Amino acid sequence: MWGKLTWQAIPFDQPIPLAAGAFVVLGLTALPIWVAAKGYIPYLWREWITSVDHKRIGIMYCLLAAVMLLRGFIDALMMRSQQALAFHAPGYLPPEHYDQIFSAHGTIMIFFVAMPFVIGLMNFAVPLQLGVRDVAFPTLNSVSLWLNAAGALLVNASLVVGEFARTGWLPYPPLSELAYSPGVGVDYYLWALQISGVGTLMTGINFVTTILKIRAPGMSYMRMPIFCWTSLASNLLIVAAFPILTATLAMLLLDRYAGFHFFTNESGGNPMMFMNLIWVWGHPEVYILILPAFGVFSEVVSTFSGKPLFDRRSMIVATMAICILSFSVWLHHFFTMGGGGDVNGFFGIASMIIAVPTGVKVFNWLFTMYGGRIRFNSAMLWSVGFMVTFVVGGMTGVLLASPAADFVLHNSLFLVAHFHNVIIGGVLFGAFAGLTFWFPKAFGFALDERLGKAAFWCWFVGFYVAFVPLYVVGLEGMTRRMQHYDRPEWYPWMLVAEAGVLIILCGIALQIAQLWVSIRSRARRRDASGDPWDGRSLEWSTASPPPAFNFAVLPEVISEEPYWEIKQAGSAGRPATPEAPYSSIEMPRNSATGFVTAFFAVVTGFALIWQIWWLVLLGLVGAYATFVVFAWRDIHEIEIPAEEVARIDRAVRDTTARAMHEEPAR
Amino acid sequence: MSTPALRLAPHPSFARSDLAQREASGHGIGGPAPKRIIVGYGFWIFLLSDVIMFSGFFAAYAVLFKNTAGGPSAHDLFDLRNTAVETACLLASSFACGMASLAVGERNLKWTQLALLVTGLLGLAFIVLEIREFAGFIARGAGPSRSAFLSSFFTLVGCHGVHVSAGLLWLGTMIAQFYAKGFRQDIRHRFLCFSLFWHALDIIWVAIFSLVYLVGTLPPELLP
Amino acid sequence: MSEHHDFEAGSYVGVDRVPSQPQREERTLKQEVLGYLVGLALAAALTIVSFWAVETHEIYRPGAAVALLVLAVAQMGIHLIFFLHITTAPDNANNILALAFGVLIVCLVVFGSLWVMSHLNHAMLPMDQLMQRQS
Repeated sequence: MWGKLTWQAIPFDQPIPLAAGAFVVLGLTALPIWVAAKGYIPYLWREWITSVDHKRIGIMYCLLAAVMLLRGFIDALMMRSQQALAFHAPGYLPPEHYDQIFSAHGTIMIFFVAMPFVIGLMNFAVPLQLGVRDVAFPTLNSVSLWLNAAGALLVNASLVVGEFARTGWLPYPPLSELAYSPGVGVDYYLWALQISGVGTLMTGINFVTTILKIRAPGMSYMRMPIFCWTSLASNLLIVAAFPILTATLAMLLLDRYAGFHFFTNESGGNPMMFMNLIWVWGHPEVYILILPAFGVFSEVVSTFSGKPLFDRRSMIVATMAICILSFSVWLHHFFTMGGGGDVNGFFGIASMIIAVPTGVKVFNWLFTMYGGRIRFNSAMLWSVGFMVTFVVGGMTGVLLASPAADFVLHNSLFLVAHFHNVIIGGVLFGAFAGLTFWFPKAFGFALDERLGKAAFWCWFVGFYVAFVPLYVVGLEGMTRRMQHYDRPEWYPWMLVAEAGVLIILCGIALQIAQLWVSIRSRARRRDASGDPWDGRSLEWSTASPPPAFNFAVLPEVISEEPYWEIKQAGSAGRPATPEAPYSSIEMPRNSATGFVTAFFAVVTGFALIWQIWWLVLLGLVGAYATFVVFAWRDIHEIEIPAEEVARIDRAVRDTTARAMHEEPAR
Repeated sequence: MSTPALRLAPHPSFARSDLAQREASGHGIGGPAPKRIIVGYGFWIFLLSDVIMFSGFFAAYAVLFKNTAGGPSAHDLFDLRNTAVETACLLASSFACGMASLAVGERNLKWTQLALLVTGLLGLAFIVLEIREFAGFIARGAGPSRSAFLSSFFTLVGCHGVHVSAGLLWLGTMIAQFYAKGFRQDIRHRFLCFSLFWHALDIIWVAIFSLVYLVGTLPPELLP
Repeated sequence: MSEHHDFEAGSYVGVDRVPSQPQREERTLKQEVLGYLVGLALAAALTIVSFWAVETHEIYRPGAAVALLVLAVAQMGIHLIFFLHITTAPDNANNILALAFGVLIVCLVVFGSLWVMSHLNHAMLPMDQLMQRQS
């Protein structure tokens, strides 16, 4: 009746997961009760849960990422503490538990922190920068968000009911096969990622279509903002790479559930093929993460240097080169698997070549700053911090790209330090810069600058204190994922790394404080002009936050920095754009499709994990029914009448014009 | 004899009316594309992602093709007559789908439903033949858990079959929607997506019957 | 035969033409049906040739697999041109670019995996022998 699910699934005998699980369950029940008691549910349902507005969806993605960052960071804290304690000692985490923690840490950070952050930023900013009203398929956008959330929910459910995978963030066979991982852990991982993978693929399709087919009049390809170019490249990679993840995980699922022999030890299976296929996805994945961050830095650096981006053309070429080249380097993740000289040589050289376009970008950012009037607010600090940190991480990457060096350093803490170097220094710093940059546009008030700068310094210093020791012990031979060790020369470095992660903890605490303080004092830091940073692209021409339809009249784009042009025209005394004739606007209707689909996805996923077959059928039927109900809808759009559009837009133009005269750029 | 008129490029002024008349040609100068183009292109991108997923299964099949673990090989199992009939069914159903889209263009409900019905019946015939083939293999002890080769064969061909089955479910929904709602624009857009999907499935089948069934039936010494 | 045939309803991806502009080629229903019939005939012919290529000794036998690959690609082309109406006109550029990108990725994945895995299989012991050494 209940498949493999029994009361034994709840970890009554393990204190740490039990406490953590209880905390999560308490929070997840207390929060909805509080929300309901305060009467927020109708508002939340109407304005957020069923919203298909790209701005709202972007904010919800970033919220998901922030919450999961806390969970993933707690895992990191636990790992560092274990390694700081476990010198000639067992530490406090038994191996079966430690293995789940490092697996959950990686899975959560990549799939439920980094991906939602960059997708959230792209969701919020791309349609605004393109000068249009929404993405190509707004309801599909909502489905994507909620499917991602469904995956995150399943991973966290493993804390309370059952266990998580012990195989690392990529479940290599034969360890991940049924024979060696008979529990539900790997199944939790696989179904959570299949569900969220569908959501991500839909996002890729949505944004490729939007960027290529839906832009303001006059916006040719060369006039598109750089963030939109990097988003295009990233989403093309999503469309190209995620199907391979789906296929490979499906093969592992078939092995586990139906006795297939893709990657088994017997009957002709080939475990090495899993590594090959999963990294064909895995390498483009990291470029999916970093390219939007590069776009954020381009926007931030040019805005806060007061100069147009240096050599846009080479930036665009470099971006598309990275996009294509990212599919030619995947074998560098398994040089040591025994491919031989020919194969290793080709991929080693390709891995070094792919560093070149990134180098071009770094030089372009530096040349943008040179000769500019730089304002060092916190977004700019994150950007400069990124430039230093990412270059260091990139260089260690080029070191690892040499197969000879990699044979010594593969799967050591040197590797771990390298990828944290580029992901934290690149993706996370980029996410924080983007959040700071677009926060006023999203919420109507800016974040507290002092706390933001303090948080940056804690993250920056804390990162180096935490990860430089890992480079050292990696060179000294310490492998990754060690639950205990007995080499005395590693021990002091583990203590330093622990100190580093505690500094980062201070940084996170400061960011939480920054949010708290900023929200409480939001009246004081309200952004009335819509353009707090003296921006250059179209999103800054709207109010903060923009009305639902973004632009009352789609702007006509005549240059690469359209909003800068408009401002220049205004200050040069040329007449401002006359009030264009308002017409009624059709906006997509809100829909519960996304939320309901995700609900059935969670039901189906949970049922598949515990092999409760009748519940699987129920979940699938429910999902299909949701699709049919959506397909039978007769009215897809609501019409905002022209007078309403005019009223909103006139009020906005009034406020922003007044504020522009009063407020200097921050 | 009059000289042919000189064709001058339009002057790049940015008046709104001029923009509307300029050739769009993919440079997006004319503003957001019409809905029909957006839907078509979005589904085209989805199809390409689906093809890439199939290529993952193809790669696995190609790598594991020789790993028969002492069990039956492709040469032992495949019945090309069955494959030929399946191919004919799918190709004919693709043609019928094309006729259906022409009927939609004519806004002729009778011919649309007839062509869709033929499409569906031919697709159903394909599925029935495929299920019989799979059942036959399993009965002979050549099921997917016998060897890596068989696992990858069943997965690749089975994935295509699952897509066709999902397509049949979609087709049924389309028939119902045309009946209930007529040729409304959003229904036509959905049908456009369906027909793109159906043609793409035939394209993938071309790869499968050529590279799996036909190449598999070649004598082992001729295989690369 | 209607004079108001809606070409837009056909199963083609769509081109970047401004809707107010007239169609470049006004096609009648008869021409459309003919197009599909020609596509069907060509695809069927190539299919028959493929099946024939397996048995016959008219083709250089070691090249049979490659011949089948070429025939398959040709058939896919027929489908794309006659059923999906992909053309090389400039307003179809986005569609062609997307297709080319997809083809590139498919080739990288399939041929890349084959190359890598054949080298790995050559260098490494088969799994059952490896397992024997472990136990």
